[in-house]
Amino acid sequence: MIVAAGITAGHDGRAELVVQVRHENGVVSAVVLDGDTGLRLMAGAGSDDIQTLVGRSWRDVLAHSVLGGT
Amino acid sequence: MYDILIKGGRVVDGSGRPAFAADVALKDGRIAAVGGTLTGEARRVIDAGGQVVAPGFIDPHTHFDVQLLWDGAAKPALEHGITCVVPGNCSLTLAPLRAGDRPALIGMFQQIEEMPPAAFTDAFEWTWEDFPGYLAALRKSLKINVAPLVGHSVIRLWVMGEAAARRTATADEIAAMGELLRQCLDAGAVGLSTSFVDVDENGRPVPSRFAAFAELDGLCAVLGEFGRMLQIVPEFYDVDLTIARIDQLAELSLKHGIPTTFSPVFDNALVPDAASRAIGRVEEQFARGARVWPQMQTRPIDISFSLLRPSLFFGRLPRWVRVLRLPLEPRIAALTDADTVAKMLADVGPDGGDRYMGDLIVRGGDAAPEALVGRTLRDIAAERGETPATALIAVSLEHGLDVAFLAASRGHDDTSRIGPMLAHPLVHIGASDGGAHLASFATYGDTGYLFSEFVRAAGALSLEAAVRKITSDTAEIWGLKERGRLQPGWAADVVIFDPDTIGRGEERPVFDMPGGGMRYVRDAVGIDTVVVNGEIAWTAGAYTDAEAGAICPLV
Repeated sequence: MIVAAGITAGHDGRAELVVQVRHENGVVSAVVLDGDTGLRLMAGAGSDDIQTLVGRSWRDVLAHSVLGGT
Repeated sequence: MYDILIKGGRVVDGSGRPAFAADVALKDGRIAAVGGTLTGEARRVIDAGGQVVAPGFIDPHTHFDVQLLWDGAAKPALEHGITCVVPGNCSLTLAPLRAGDRPALIGMFQQIEEMPPAAFTDAFEWTWEDFPGYLAALRKSLKINVAPLVGHSVIRLWVMGEAAARRTATADEIAAMGELLRQCLDAGAVGLSTSFVDVDENGRPVPSRFAAFAELDGLCAVLGEFGRMLQIVPEFYDVDLTIARIDQLAELSLKHGIPTTFSPVFDNALVPDAASRAIGRVEEQFARGARVWPQMQTRPIDISFSLLRPSLFFGRLPRWVRVLRLPLEPRIAALTDADTVAKMLADVGPDGGDRYMGDLIVRGGDAAPEALVGRTLRDIAAERGETPATALIAVSLEHGLDVAFLAASRGHDDTSRIGPMLAHPLVHIGASDGGAHLASFATYGDTGYLFSEFVRAAGALSLEAAVRKITSDTAEIWGLKERGRLQPGWAADVVIFDPDTIGRGEERPVFDMPGGGMRYVRDAVGIDTVVVNGEIAWTAGAYTDAEAGAICPLV
């Protein structure tokens, strides 16, 4: 599950998306997505606000944004 | 008779020992003497009263490979006190490269360096294919010293042709790559660079990313014959993958007796343990005897964007995200629709976007009028009688959306956290990317910022420690022979600067790339004179005609 999301500056000077994901074993890890990938993920997930990603299943978000929905 | 006598300065000799009052004499490209009061005659005497006299700074991560062919000073790096640069990072170099492979390499360089096409067609004559030929072309007009890496991707291209970007190599191909690398090292390459993340202009992985471990191991065996450097770009967006690469580098370092280095390492407030975990793993591997140097830049990371394309900068403003996702024509229509704009403005809150956008700076180098460049949106909005959000939309529309805005210091910007890391004895200060990302941000002035922010403002490093970090430490890590210290007999690379003012200027656009291409630069602040191999290369705010730069001899 996504437990937090934020914007940071990327190596290339563009805004990047950082999501904190809590895995089934309880571990929380960060996933950093470059600008294009982050925007694609948000669009695929039907999200216009990074805060609306919080609470959603990371697996579902990936499925919709990367795999086009499963 | 000395060539140059620098009198009355405070010598910070690069060793880390306390500064001391002394004169420095130069002769035949070497440091001739360092002493309390030197009395010999000199062709030129420099009064360094009130200033620091230090070894020239060394920048270990640049992409000046192309620029050096028409600009031997790697401007403006030299005027910031840099007397030696390491180009050829991230697996990409201009040699060895067959003529037929040039278009492929140009595509990779344009993706990484954002260099205009004219830089590869108008600015120099491409006379070489092999590495010695490239070095010969460089030597013609060098003002700065160069310690060039050779790129793994081009070595793959030479040996495997188009298959370099499709598959792993056979044993015969690995052997051929090893022999080619050996020739490059014989010619003076300081090491091999490779990348696990970079892509070409089509978004395809660069050739080095198709290498199996056996290939990297084989090439490191060749590096081991010379004791030279392996530089990599790890999967820096994921700390666990980065740590896995640190372990891999450690194994290669121990097995082949080579130094290794990786970059970038960022401090990120949203992933606050990433940099410290990477450095912690480096400590463990050094304790085993491995040499794995993490490179950390000094400068904060900015976010820049225009309304020409979507940006995650607006990731918390849903109506802005929806509008900026639209294709260009409907996007412009939406931005001129009163109802849509009213809703967008409602998103930013009752302050009119002042908190969210007021600090944005108009960057310039695009369609923005000169009168707006360098000013904050808050200032511009006040002048126009608008809110910052309204002004952002209006100014963009007035100039075809081609107005870039800068949100300064939005990453790697917490001095209280970064200072101790820069001071860490195993952290290698570098990763400037000098000569790259031309249209995105200025990659110059990191050394000045080290002194202004981390020595003077924060006190995270002493003056002497900071100088050591970017001079003798760097020279020792990279095996640069007799550089990095003001020591008799060593190369006369010297920078004279004011310790109370050294810093970096504001970022500004210039159009000095071949074909009139734009890039962002920062001017030097507080640098008085830069000497390269005993000749004054920059002084009193101007470059001289000296062309004393060299390909650095290695230990």
